[in-house]
Amino acid sequence: MSSVSDQAFAIRASRGDLEAFRKLVQEHSGLVYRVALRILGAEDAQDASQEIWIRVWRNIKNFRGDSAFSTWLYRITVNTCLSVRRKESRRGEREFSGEEMTFLPEPRDNDADPEAAALGAEQREQIQAALGYVRAEHRAALVLRHMEGLSYAEIAQILGVPDGTAKGWVSRGRAAMLVALSEEDHGSRGTVE
Amino acid sequence: MMPVGGQRWEMLERIGTYAAGELEGEEARQVEQLIFERPEYGHLAESYARMLVWLSTLGSEPVEAPEAVVGYAIRRAYISAFMRSAEVFVSALGRSYIDAFVYYLGLRRERHGGGT
Repeated sequence: MSSVSDQAFAIRASRGDLEAFRKLVQEHSGLVYRVALRILGAEDAQDASQEIWIRVWRNIKNFRGDSAFSTWLYRITVNTCLSVRRKESRRGEREFSGEEMTFLPEPRDNDADPEAAALGAEQREQIQAALGYVRAEHRAALVLRHMEGLSYAEIAQILGVPDGTAKGWVSRGRAAMLVALSEEDHGSRGTVE
Repeated sequence: MMPVGGQRWEMLERIGTYAAGELEGEEARQVEQLIFERPEYGHLAESYARMLVWLSTLGSEPVEAPEAVVGYAIRRAYISAFMRSAEVFVSALGRSYIDAFVYYLGLRRERHGGGT
């Protein structure tokens, strides 16, 4: 579905057209679930996706087409995921003390070639686990930048912050992610700032 | 192992920004110089590059939402639209009944035409 037809379906849905809403859900359920999965992990992604679509339906009457539908959808998705995270207990979180860090392990043969960078199940788990140790806002910014491939202007619009803040959050998220990945083999961790 | 407290954290972020290709001109040259002089920084930049490839590879893999999510979202929208219509219908019906009751009891004052 092109962004033009997205807009058209969204405008129709905002007037109560259920068929148009159904098309939007079918077309974008992957995006919503994918982002929820990266920000929240597999355990919470399904419930969060359902909550996101309820919010989309509830708020679509306010969609005027001023921004792209995908940007509007990303915003609801990320805000819902962040609010799910805020509700959770903050037990076990700690500030990153930054005493020492290790580098990522040397690449195996297939890792060295970015073209052949198919990820194994173990790496996938490591990445998802490491993401869980990055502070939620920074994680959201990191996911939008390096997994969704969005520009800083888009990220800033989605997160409702200035461009500079979006850049800072991505940068902190990137560093925290590297620390978390490199500490994979070490003991317990809290949220890395 | 490399300490990353305080200013080290700043350097960690800076090298990450460089590895992501987001530094230009003088800033990029400064980091390149550091990487050239300090092998551990080069090692760090390589780690970043590898991590960014992993993230982008994982990000580009298609993810399908479970059928339950799609079905639930559509079902909820239909139920919500039905409830909204039912609410409008019931409130209109209620208003009509009240109007009829008021008329039956003769409580409504008759309006006289506003002719000149």
